[in-house]
Amino acid sequence: MDEASILQRGVESANLSRLLASVASQDAASLKSLYERTSAKLYGIALRLIGDEAEAQDLLQEVYVTVWRKASSFDAKRASAITWLATITRNRAIDRLRARRDPGENLDAARDIADDAPTSLDLLEREDDAVRLRLCLDELEDRARRMIRAAFFDGATYPELAERENVPLPTMKSWVRRGLIRLRGCLEQ
Amino acid sequence: MTDDPAEPPEQAPVAAEHALGLLSGNDLRKAQALAESNPSYREELARWRGRFATLHQDVASATPPANLWSHIEARIGTEPANDNLPALWRKLRLWKAATGAFGTIAAALALILLWEPRPSSAPPVARATSSASPMVAMLGDKQSMKVVASWDPAARQLVLAVAGNMPFDPNHSNELWVIPPGGKPRSLGTMPDRKRMHMQLANALATLLERGATIAISVEPRGGSPSGAPTGAVIASGALNPA
Repeated sequence: MDEASILQRGVESANLSRLLASVASQDAASLKSLYERTSAKLYGIALRLIGDEAEAQDLLQEVYVTVWRKASSFDAKRASAITWLATITRNRAIDRLRARRDPGENLDAARDIADDAPTSLDLLEREDDAVRLRLCLDELEDRARRMIRAAFFDGATYPELAERENVPLPTMKSWVRRGLIRLRGCLEQ
Repeated sequence: MTDDPAEPPEQAPVAAEHALGLLSGNDLRKAQALAESNPSYREELARWRGRFATLHQDVASATPPANLWSHIEARIGTEPANDNLPALWRKLRLWKAATGAFGTIAAALALILLWEPRPSSAPPVARATSSASPMVAMLGDKQSMKVVASWDPAARQLVLAVAGNMPFDPNHSNELWVIPPGGKPRSLGTMPDRKRMHMQLANALATLLERGATIAISVEPRGGSPSGAPTGAVIASGALNPA
């Protein structure tokens, strides 16, 4: 990334943080402005996880209603606004995925499976995270990297990954854990 | 295969697994409990979430339909400003946990029985402006599906519980309407969930939920009716009457 685009991203990020601060004081115009700047990204994330357009649209409505209510809990010192928004979208999408994959479960049971904990929006991001994570993921074995990406982009759990790859659950856990331990070693260097 | 299923000798990367969403069932509950009780684990988890969240940069953007914003706008006028899960709904969940039953008419009806004086979290303004009593509408006459809509005017809270299976077509959205006696239908938003819905209505909409008003659910294009008026088949409807 060149310096101009880094600068541009920094400015955009600061703008989004300011918008979130106004949304926290219940300014609907700021929510609209935030929506205009971020909805394409968040809709892309929702679609990627959910797959279905109608449900992704419902989800997007829910995300901005959540943002309206929870904007005051956003802390610009800990994460960028877009990361925070993306995480809300991801958490909500995963909630729905789990409920859908297990239609026999009632809603509360589905919530138990998904991570709906109060701490699920706790984020701590550093400036070079994106670059470092990419470099370190590249150092992993192909298989571990593939599983980590599948967990992230498809919202797949250990049992789902094991089923997908047709291996016993302990084997899958062992593959991924080894990868994550290596990843941790690399990131903490 | 030489894969050893035993734990690797290093400390298990639980926070990373947790942040990625790999954990389920008991493992997830244990990790969540740890996040709530152990600040250093919580921080490690937050750190992993922050790192992995940067992968969102790889996801392609997609433009949502133009009418989506108007539905959000309608809903934020209708949502509480702070994050207070209404005590009523919390009680319903407790009740469900206690009985293990849901998806039955009985469970839906329990909503009515659970109605108690407003908790202290109710907006004081709303309290002062309304002394009307709670109302209920039973929507639907089919064996396969019924919806109980409970309206608490004091808190301007509308709760819907669906018993049975609400029809759902992935190419469409189910939209909720209120039709005051002799008036035009007004949208209350699309239903994101097929089992339940909770909303706090803005004053302007709240005044429409009077005795005899009809609550209806119709099938609309994805994201809701583009015109602001119902266009599709009505799945269920019923009139509001005092509880």
